[in-house]
Amino acid sequence: MDFSERIFCGELTQEHLRREALLCGWVDAYRDHGGLLFIHLRDRSGIVQIVFSPEYAPAEVCRNAASLRAEYCVAVRGEVRKRLPGTENPHIETGSLEVFVSELTVLGEAEPLPFAISEKAMLAGASSGGAEQVNEELRMQHRYLDIRRSVMQRNLALRGRIFQCVREFLDSRGFVEVETPILTMSTPEGARDYLVPSRVHPQSFYALPQSPQLFKQLLMIGGLERYFQLARCFRDEDLRPNRQPEFTQLDIEASFIDEEFLYELIEELTARMFALGGIALPRPFPRMTYAEAMDATGTDRPDLRFGLRMVDATDIFAATSYGIFRQIRERGGIVKGINIQGQSEKLSKNVLQNEYAREIAPSFGAKGMTWMRVEGGKLESNIVQFFSAAEQEALKDRFRLADGDVLIMVADPSPAVANSVLGQLRLHLADRLGLIPPDVFCPVWVTDFPLFEPTDDGGVTSSHHPFTAPDRADFDPADVAELLSLRSRAYDLVINGEELGGGSIRINDRRVQRRIFAALGLSEEEVREKFGFFLRAFDFGAPPHGGLALGMDRVVAMILKTPSIREVIAFPKNRSAACPLTGAPAPVKEKQLAELGLLNLGGRDVLPGDAAKESRLDRLSWVSRIGIAEGERPLLEAAIARAAELAVRAGELAGPEEPIRSPAPPSRRIRPGREARRSPLAVDGRLLGNAPAVKGDYFKVAAILE
Amino acid sequence: METIFAYLPPRTDPLADGAPPGLRTAIQPCLSVAGWPTDAGAPALADYAALEDATVVSRLRQAGATLVGLTRTGEFGFGLTGSQAGMAVRSGAADLELVVDLAGESRLAAARAGIWGFKPSWGTVSRFGVIGLIPSMECCGILAGDAPPIGEFLRAAAGPDERDFSLPDEEAPDLSGGRVAAGETTVGVVVEALDALPSPAREAFRASLATLTAAGFALREVSLPDFPLFALVHQIVGAVEASSSAGRYDSVRYGRRSPGAKNWNEMYLLSRGAAFGTLLKSYLFQGAYFQFEAYEAYENACRIRARLLAAMAAATSQADFLVLPATNPAAPAKAATPEDIYAQSRFTAFANVTGQPALYLPPPSGEDRPGWQLTGPRRSDARLLAAGEHLRGILQGGE
Repeated sequence: MDFSERIFCGELTQEHLRREALLCGWVDAYRDHGGLLFIHLRDRSGIVQIVFSPEYAPAEVCRNAASLRAEYCVAVRGEVRKRLPGTENPHIETGSLEVFVSELTVLGEAEPLPFAISEKAMLAGASSGGAEQVNEELRMQHRYLDIRRSVMQRNLALRGRIFQCVREFLDSRGFVEVETPILTMSTPEGARDYLVPSRVHPQSFYALPQSPQLFKQLLMIGGLERYFQLARCFRDEDLRPNRQPEFTQLDIEASFIDEEFLYELIEELTARMFALGGIALPRPFPRMTYAEAMDATGTDRPDLRFGLRMVDATDIFAATSYGIFRQIRERGGIVKGINIQGQSEKLSKNVLQNEYAREIAPSFGAKGMTWMRVEGGKLESNIVQFFSAAEQEALKDRFRLADGDVLIMVADPSPAVANSVLGQLRLHLADRLGLIPPDVFCPVWVTDFPLFEPTDDGGVTSSHHPFTAPDRADFDPADVAELLSLRSRAYDLVINGEELGGGSIRINDRRVQRRIFAALGLSEEEVREKFGFFLRAFDFGAPPHGGLALGMDRVVAMILKTPSIREVIAFPKNRSAACPLTGAPAPVKEKQLAELGLLNLGGRDVLPGDAAKESRLDRLSWVSRIGIAEGERPLLEAAIARAAELAVRAGELAGPEEPIRSPAPPSRRIRPGREARRSPLAVDGRLLGNAPAVKGDYFKVAAILE
Repeated sequence: METIFAYLPPRTDPLADGAPPGLRTAIQPCLSVAGWPTDAGAPALADYAALEDATVVSRLRQAGATLVGLTRTGEFGFGLTGSQAGMAVRSGAADLELVVDLAGESRLAAARAGIWGFKPSWGTVSRFGVIGLIPSMECCGILAGDAPPIGEFLRAAAGPDERDFSLPDEEAPDLSGGRVAAGETTVGVVVEALDALPSPAREAFRASLATLTAAGFALREVSLPDFPLFALVHQIVGAVEASSSAGRYDSVRYGRRSPGAKNWNEMYLLSRGAAFGTLLKSYLFQGAYFQFEAYEAYENACRIRARLLAAMAAATSQADFLVLPATNPAAPAKAATPEDIYAQSRFTAFANVTGQPALYLPPPSGEDRPGWQLTGPRRSDARLLAAGEHLRGILQGGE
């Protein structure tokens, strides 16, 4: 077959009318009209209807066509015709055309599908399918089928175009794409590393990069001046719904630049990327300091799509007689509130008191929440009587309260807790009250982060990483109070409350760097051990430099408005960091572990009750919780030795077959259920009749703990 | 009688209510009979009394059978050492005996007692209430003096049971049987099974097949080069499943609690250490070894199992049924290790691996010749029984 003649299904137009076309693709859907067979043929470009008519196609072609099923891969040759008036399909681009087939070649047959792939209805007005309802694990297990769906095709194509846009834009600005190693040393990013054992250096490990941080700075010292990379990064973090153990980050670093250079560069780049999804970002991006963001929204990832700004009211209660507020003030705490304008109809006393004050605010970490509704110019609340008239007036004034408004306030001895709780309530209320406008994008730069955070033992630790430049260099490394007042030259890009990336201007003066390490309490020796090779480079004329990294999976997911980043990754891991398609991660042969010198490492693991588990027999006795009498040992040792031989034989004899677990597995895992009920055997206590020890209605066992 | 039976219910006069007694059925205590001490012959279930009837038991009762007692068995019915399986039928105390068939016990017990032994297809008879050990291989085996009680059992007990959630979603098997005619029936002989028999048993078995040719059956040699691997797969998969199944014997819901444990782990170690005999313990440790130290071996065994299923399907498709020996004269009479049990079940374990039915057909009484084990594809149970009846007729010179 000469594929060079092939025309894409979705690209057929009126120009092709009455001409012959060779089409290739997959059977999306079919409809049999007693001898007349209609098929939606789908390829990357779209769908076109092809027709097998006994009046046009040879009998053998019609016979073969009858055996076609969903997702058969076929090539057809036929004549492009206009559809009869009234039979056009508005769901597909080529809906006014159809192709009368004269030749059919089945290129690949398909078994019955694990889920439907077709998303386009064949008839005008009919509803289309969709795999959104399909179990995600099943989709990921058959990802190659999932990718055939037009939504996934679009997601991956647009991801590719966004990446292309990044490359073209940065190239135009003089940035050089450089790859940095995947097998590398652990870097100070703070998450757990994925480790790769070295065979050549037994019991030594490479770490997969959490980010190319050190390398990109070394490239700056290497005089490359402008670097970028679409870098794969790896973090072995605790599982969260929208996180992947490996992810793609756009890594950028430049020399002889300042923050303004990066803001302009990233704003232009971000705007171009979002434009590919038809989204126009407002420019310039507004900026907020960390302090402003925390103050107004309670978070360093402010969502600015809606108001509900937090306002401080601590001073109003300077001399309050309301005991709770007074105590909190005396302990250095704060009182902050939000005016939820015009929502008193949706926020009844019941909702405010029983849901928000009793359940929701405590679940965010608050001890309580105060609320007031404004009616007839007066504040209404369960506790309003505790506030003086002056305090009430001051509140109305401070929060610009009007009828129909609802004021919520959180007071806490810890300003951090008060901010955090009120910030979470802000998001909760915005969501609940529908205050978040759809299709609005609010980017913001968050700047001036604290350079250090206090540690529990009275010292400080880096908020970002120890190479971030401080806003001033004349600090005393021993003065913790002064250290905590330092700001960093770091910046985060936040859109709609989601952090898409961040970066900083780095320290290039080795004297400043030394003072930072001193502030962190690291000795010369520790510094050399941890960052020696890196710091050595700063001894040879390091240029001022800085950069930023953007989480591209999140960027693409936001542009495409997908519910999860897994929708924009071709082969993602599932929520438990496993790949349902390949089965990774998987155990390896003992031989491989032996080669890597890892067998003894396993033996070092200490399990509870592990004191005497040096022998294999004792280990097995422990894991299967079966005690051994001394006299049994020789027989059991022999049994295990025999099992080890069987294991070797099975390894030699096993073929490539899929393992089976049953001669005839049930095909339906779920059967029509009956009502859940307590077993009559439990109700009348017979279930306990065979138990060696019973207490009341329960089986009695030994104490749990050692 | 007390040497055959571990438990006999209080005597009732079977004719007291005027109804004729149905099949008198002896039960191995691996099958639950409500209120009876069905302890599976295992210390792990010491003092245990079943709370409900196994599905096969309740269906037999509905069909009018009379339960005569519980027979003596080895631990969990695994192997025949310590078991009296077959003796109740042989002695005339029962028309039917039910046992668990884990690796061929029903056929081996039948060979020992000179009676009929039948292992039905896996998945056709409910295992609800069977105190099992190897879920993917075990089933309820049937012992009888002749074919009709076996057919009666299948008609009463086989078919779907919503309480056994491991059953495949299949209709009840076709039990109509059908006709077996000598002139149009091919009997396959598994070459590698014969090769595994030591001399002179091999020659004797070959000679016995002459009866078939004389009766007009076509004999056809069928090759199954992987036949020796059935035991390997059975032992690895069986040990893993047994190790898992035996996890439930934790001295909490049943069994005996060993005294002196200070915490849960000690309670498990002590109670479970005393709950299993040394042979079974060897098997459970092998299972633990495969699970915790050599998991790939289990996966590999399951791969080989897939290959064996395909090879057996190819073999059974070449003949109307296959004939094999049942017993291994080279095996020790008493089993002290799992390996001894696998030596004894060398010719029977295959059907447990594949789930296909197998019938032991005894030689006519008084004749010194080997019995035959017949087998066919899964769910060909009725055809196999019909073939057995037909051959029995030939052996007795009837047809």
